[in-house]
Amino acid sequence: MGRIVLENVTKSFGDAEVIPPLDLTIEDGEFAVFVGPSGCGKSTLLRLIAGLEETTSGRILIDGEDVTEVSPSKRGLAMVFQTYALYPHMSVRKNIAFPLRMAKMEQGEIDAAVDRAASILNLGDYLEKRPGQLSGGQRQRVAIGRAIVRQPTAFLFDEPLSNLDAALRVGMRLEISELHERLKTTMIYVTHDQVEAMTMANKIVVLRAGHIEQVGSPLELYRTPRNLFVAGFIGSPTMNFITGEEAAKHGAQTIGIRPEHIAVSASEGTWTGKVGVAEHLGSDTFFYVHDTGLAETLTVRATGEVSFRNGDTIHMTPREDLLHRFDAAGERMA
Amino acid sequence: MSKRTMPRLLQSPAVVLLLVWMLIPLGMTLFFSFIRYVLNSLRRPEWTTPSIENWRGFGNYDFVLGNKDFLLAVQNSLLIVCSILFLTVILGVLIAVLINKAFPGRGIVRVLLISPFFVMPAVNAVLWINMILDPVLGLQGIAVDGINALIRDLQNLPVLGAFFGLWPELSPISFRATQTSAYAVIIMVTWQWTPFAVLIFMTSLQSEDQQQKEAAILDGAGAWSQFRFLTLPHLGRPIAIVVMIQAIFHLSLYAEIEIVSRGNGNKNLPYLIGEFANNNIGAASATGIFAVILANIVAIFLLRMIGKTLME
Ligand SMILES: Nc1ncnc2c1ncn2[C@@H]1O[C@H](COP(=O)(O)OP(=O)(O)O)[C@@H](O)[C@H]1O
Ligand SMILES: [Mg+2]
Repeated sequence: MGRIVLENVTKSFGDAEVIPPLDLTIEDGEFAVFVGPSGCGKSTLLRLIAGLEETTSGRILIDGEDVTEVSPSKRGLAMVFQTYALYPHMSVRKNIAFPLRMAKMEQGEIDAAVDRAASILNLGDYLEKRPGQLSGGQRQRVAIGRAIVRQPTAFLFDEPLSNLDAALRVGMRLEISELHERLKTTMIYVTHDQVEAMTMANKIVVLRAGHIEQVGSPLELYRTPRNLFVAGFIGSPTMNFITGEEAAKHGAQTIGIRPEHIAVSASEGTWTGKVGVAEHLGSDTFFYVHDTGLAETLTVRATGEVSFRNGDTIHMTPREDLLHRFDAAGERMA
Repeated sequence: MSKRTMPRLLQSPAVVLLLVWMLIPLGMTLFFSFIRYVLNSLRRPEWTTPSIENWRGFGNYDFVLGNKDFLLAVQNSLLIVCSILFLTVILGVLIAVLINKAFPGRGIVRVLLISPFFVMPAVNAVLWINMILDPVLGLQGIAVDGINALIRDLQNLPVLGAFFGLWPELSPISFRATQTSAYAVIIMVTWQWTPFAVLIFMTSLQSEDQQQKEAAILDGAGAWSQFRFLTLPHLGRPIAIVVMIQAIFHLSLYAEIEIVSRGNGNKNLPYLIGEFANNNIGAASATGIFAVILANIVAIFLLRMIGKTLME
């Protein structure tokens, strides 16, 4: 079990209120991702759940039990840190065994648990090495191993992949997702990278300045972003925003259209512009279009092989059914 | 000139200087330790100049080993050095951990804690032995008198007086006596060198990784386990440094021994060398070589021990 509920939780450091009153429920077995720009309070929120920070007010419940005043070690949560936080003087085996040793488990059981974790994470060959002798990806695995041996009620990850290079990141992303499939334990994952959020989450929590902007499944957020912030944050490349006359035509202050929801043509279309930079990714091509009279730059995606060059005139037709409309306050209009 | 020659040439003065600096004294000590060489001898005036003709082989070593003071001096050297190391490391770690937490007035406390290190050793010894440890005039004497007076007063109490009557009268300890002068040296040097250990450990504690601590907290480690499994291993290297540097310094303690007891029952190797060197340079040199060997044994032994116990 691992159902985590935050009720009216706030957190201030001195006078600075980092988390304004916040309610959130994470269901048992869910993979929840907190996503938002740097400094928006994601880590603080995670540390509140872990018990590493005290709440200023409000309650935190795990499986219905109020743990607001319970010490971190008694909450049954395991955390994986961005800097791995491995114990540098201990071998990998001892690192992974540490939580069990603290729980005064028998040596035989400890060894068995460590070996099981090591085989899940392919760490068998490194058990006798020190963390300093491992690569970033291996260290991250050890940190995850140290978390899973405890069989916690929930895992907390704080930007665990941001110190890895791009290729490793993709690999570890998959491994963590697979781990979740396998263990079916609640996981809360913090990241500033919306791609990680979209690919891994069952439930995304978009945060801005400590506020929850929207909670939903990746596709919900993609299809029906509740406001301009979420619309701009989710999706890559980011949504095009158009204001002024064109928006007024749709009865909105701002309209948004994703690059992949615009059809391009050399001859006819609703909008026209000049191609600036073209990014050819093989499967897709992204054009950055200028001089449209709508916005500084419009990004459009074309699939397959399309031959527009820098300076060419391009015609674009948005899919009206996938147009997002926002009012003056930036909220989504029905 | 090849590419390598120029840098080598430029390095050479420093290297040569260092070699000369080390090798000449060591070489001379070795040489003197194998010849008969005294400063004054009416009977054998030829021994007063160092010369290969006066070759004595291991005779000086035999003479030193047979000297009744030698074993005592080795024992005393070890007792003093090891006690100081033990006390300064333990006190240093404790104090450093205590003042690593933020509290009001921490800056001033730190400066005060470091200050004993800036007192000259001889002054330190004079102050301790005369003003603090002296059984009559020092703080010790005054404190013991005070406590005794207090106990006498308590013995006059109506009911409890009988209980206090069982308490013995305290007598002050003389730290200049044969049996106790080494302890005086240990106390005063520990007082002076604990700040050094604190300073080194304090800087090291500031570089301790806080996330490791948080990970350990989540892993269920209490304050003691965090100290034992994270802080202490983190301090392993600084402890080794403190032990090495202090071992080197304290094996050559001299001023304190001289001031506390003039070596009376309390000689260490340097003091013995000093006594021999009043006349018998050959024996003094042989003792010096023993001291070098002892220093190396102590250093290797201590480092091994620290490495074994701290690094998991
Ligand atoms: N211990 C602290 N003391 C004071 N301010 C803090 C502390 N920890 C975090 N903050 C502030 O809280 C805000 C949110 O920080 P954080 O949760 O680390 O953001 P994120 O993880 O989303 O990048 C930041 O403005 C940061 O400066
Ligand atoms: Mg963060």
